[in-house]
Amino acid sequence: MKIEVLGTGCMKCKRLFKNVEIAVKELGITAEIVKVDDISEIINRGVMLTPALAVDGDMKVSGRVADVKELKEILKG
Amino acid sequence: MASRPECACGDTSALAGGKKRIIFPCAGTANVGLISNAAALQLAEEGYGVATCIALLGSGDPGLKKRIADADEVVIIDGCPMTCGAKIANAQGVIPAQHIVITGLGIDKVYEKNVTEDEVELVVSAAWEGKGRT
Repeated sequence: MKIEVLGTGCMKCKRLFKNVEIAVKELGITAEIVKVDDISEIINRGVMLTPALAVDGDMKVSGRVADVKELKEILKG
Repeated sequence: MASRPECACGDTSALAGGKKRIIFPCAGTANVGLISNAAALQLAEEGYGVATCIALLGSGDPGLKKRIADADEVVIIDGCPMTCGAKIANAQGVIPAQHIVITGLGIDKVYEKNVTEDEVELVVSAAWEGKGRT
């Protein structure tokens, strides 16, 4: 599983990234967690509000910080 | 050319399905009460919600009650198991979506003024993570 956190490095992006790390750890799953902070890449992905979260290329969250419980639900599919 | 994406560190979370929150620290005078205040202010600075005085809630202020009715979530940060903040909210008929008790995060209650950045960060992270969700 590839999880991408898209954002230019603001505090909310950092909070989302940390929550993703916690959710992955608590679920005990193997995932590649990637920060995407290149503005061109973020625009090309069609993201209008950051932070955003993509799982295996699918955009799941945009413009807010999902908490750990919500992230675990998203990652469980 | 596509427009630049907007960062939700502004006031755009509501547009994106984010929560409009009111944060009440217990504002006690022991270290954990001081931490509750510092954490609420930092959370407000990070765009998590609006930090508001728990004493105003206790006074039954009608303006604040309207703001609470308009908000999506109320978050209470209590310093210790006395849970004064939650009791004040309960007395005013306010049910928090999240209730964090700082001593429950491993910070001991002592009557000292010293508050560290790490202690504040622990509480701020707990709120973002949703650790106090009921």
